[in-house]
Amino acid sequence: MNKTDERLAEQAKEAFDRSVDGLDAASLSRLNRARQAALAEAVRPQRARLRWLPATGAAAAVLLAVFTLQGPGEVDVISAPATDLEFLLIEESIEMLEELEFYSWLATQELEGDGDRG
Amino acid sequence: MTAGVSVFAVSCTAKPTGARTLQKQQQLGQFLAEVERRALRIAEIGVRDRDEALDLVQDAMIKLVRNYGGRQKDEWTPLFYRILQNGVRDWHRRQGVRNRIMVWLQKAKPDDHDVIASAPDPAGRSPDEELQNAEAMEAIEAAVNALPRRQQEAFMLRTFEGLDVAGTAVAMGCSEGSVKTHCSRAIHALRDKLGEHWQ
Repeated sequence: MNKTDERLAEQAKEAFDRSVDGLDAASLSRLNRARQAALAEAVRPQRARLRWLPATGAAAAVLLAVFTLQGPGEVDVISAPATDLEFLLIEESIEMLEELEFYSWLATQELEGDGDRG
Repeated sequence: MTAGVSVFAVSCTAKPTGARTLQKQQQLGQFLAEVERRALRIAEIGVRDRDEALDLVQDAMIKLVRNYGGRQKDEWTPLFYRILQNGVRDWHRRQGVRNRIMVWLQKAKPDDHDVIASAPDPAGRSPDEELQNAEAMEAIEAAVNALPRRQQEAFMLRTFEGLDVAGTAVAMGCSEGSVKTHCSRAIHALRDKLGEHWQ
């Protein structure tokens, strides 16, 4: 990077820092609340991970009840709860897939790290 | 007897683990407090919306604490920005879908006026200074926004957050060589755009 580029980066950083210092009270308050919410996750990880369990369980119970009451021949009646159940599972799958991408990247990093050490 | 010894052993190790957890939580709190304001502005430049940026920062904080809180402190910064940048990218994907639906429905987003956000500057700067700073930052934001996404990420992480090349590579999930290339191209593009105002 030449002198002109360095000066440009410095000026951009100065303007950015001024904009960070000038954040309004409402945003700072929301950041504070966000931080507290995140730290609360550290002491209850299991509960957070299982937050979809009651909804999925309830949908499964409805599905089972309808299936039991109507019998296996009533395919049209059970299709609606089955669709709800699929939605719940899809929502969970999206979040899981997001994490899987990250886990896969981390695994690659660790393998590369082992390779460098070995 | 053996069971009693096991219970004793577990109870003996429980205290230090609890203390370590508390210490880790304090370290996490300190880390998040240090990084949150710059992260908010970086996310805001990425999505051009303060509320959306706040949501993305909160998501990144929660994911970091939940999934990587146990990792070494010096790994948190690149991991946090990795999560945040993934969030920004996902936001753009969702926004693309949403825009297509909105065009289809021909509905416009309502214009919310935030009274608190438009309140006077708490730092007590004069309106002229505020205007000058706002104009400078507006020019940078517009120029940074015009960059390709990967160049944007590289430039903001290196220049605004101050991550080194290795940390930026971890945050972006690419090689150090790619970071250097993205950064160099970003600087050249910014110089072309901002040159006349910034020399």
